[in-house]
Amino acid sequence: MDSDQELLELVNQGDPDAFEALYRRYRDWVYRLAWRFTGNQQDALDVLQETFTYLLGKFPGFSLTASMTTFLYPIIKHLSLAIRNKSHRFTSDEEILSEIAAPPSKETCPRRSELAAVLTVLPDEQREVLLMRFVDDMTLQEIAKALNIPIGTVKSRLHHALQRLRQDRRTQDYFLE
Amino acid sequence: MTEKKGHFDEDLDLRVSPKLSEDLDTLFKPQFSVPPEVDRAIMDQANRRLVQRHWRHRIFRHISLWRVAAAAAVIIFAFSLNLTQKPGPTTTSSFIVEAQAVDIDRNGRVDILDAFKLARHIESAGLTGKSLSPVSSTGQALEKRGWDINGDGLVDRNDVDLVALSAVRLDKHKGVL
Repeated sequence: MDSDQELLELVNQGDPDAFEALYRRYRDWVYRLAWRFTGNQQDALDVLQETFTYLLGKFPGFSLTASMTTFLYPIIKHLSLAIRNKSHRFTSDEEILSEIAAPPSKETCPRRSELAAVLTVLPDEQREVLLMRFVDDMTLQEIAKALNIPIGTVKSRLHHALQRLRQDRRTQDYFLE
Repeated sequence: MTEKKGHFDEDLDLRVSPKLSEDLDTLFKPQFSVPPEVDRAIMDQANRRLVQRHWRHRIFRHISLWRVAAAAAVIIFAFSLNLTQKPGPTTTSSFIVEAQAVDIDRNGRVDILDAFKLARHIESAGLTGKSLSPVSSTGQALEKRGWDINGDGLVDRNDVDLVALSAVRLDKHKGVL
């Protein structure tokens, strides 16, 4: 499989197939992240389209200095917040999480619902780092670059977020050996 | 997306159990996948833009190369014209004739001493501050020696000024005949 850099080089030469390969590689991640920021499927799809339209506008002559996720993360976040503000569907991340953490139906695992409830009480910046690390699979360095903050700050936020989960009786089971 | 990275950081504090990681992943997974029409719309846009931009980029590069080549040709042509236009011989000869005219002491150099010498001659004739008449015997003698620099028929302060001026001007050409 071609690396991102190889694909980008091909797209710079005007190869639509290479762009499609990149799109297939990152589509679900972009959509999932947009959905997390907007809490709405339609908005998330709009963000998905706008993100790749933005990326397309970078060619030819685009060169990637970090990882693709590091490059795309701030774009998706910015577009999502813009759409969210425009549509006024949600006013905060907490509301999105509250919806996710709504009383579990028969199919929903109660443990997950409690996890979502604990996440709602985390400060925004701690929750963001936690999700970037364990949902988006980004390394600490990638998170630091994407958020433009020192790696020490990333570690500190992540540490405090996990500490909170450890201390909450609803989620402390996750940390028992 | 890239392969799932291990959720184990060097820092023990920042590690989580696979169960927590899995539940976070499940919580933030959108319930719907990206519809095929969205894929198609993005790929159509990519095809259009990439092909269009690729050709525009190539044409622009082609035109730019021609522009640079044309500009270089114009500069080389102008430079070669400038080299072939050497200074006319009259300039040099007139400069020598003029320099010889004001070389009062005939030492092959025109300097401020020539102006002093002429002034002293005028003063020694006892006519300081007054012009020497061409009809006076001293004036005629001086005139014969070619000291009526401005050719007004008189050898006076004006001629001294002209010699001084020439000395200064000639200084640029090192005052050598």
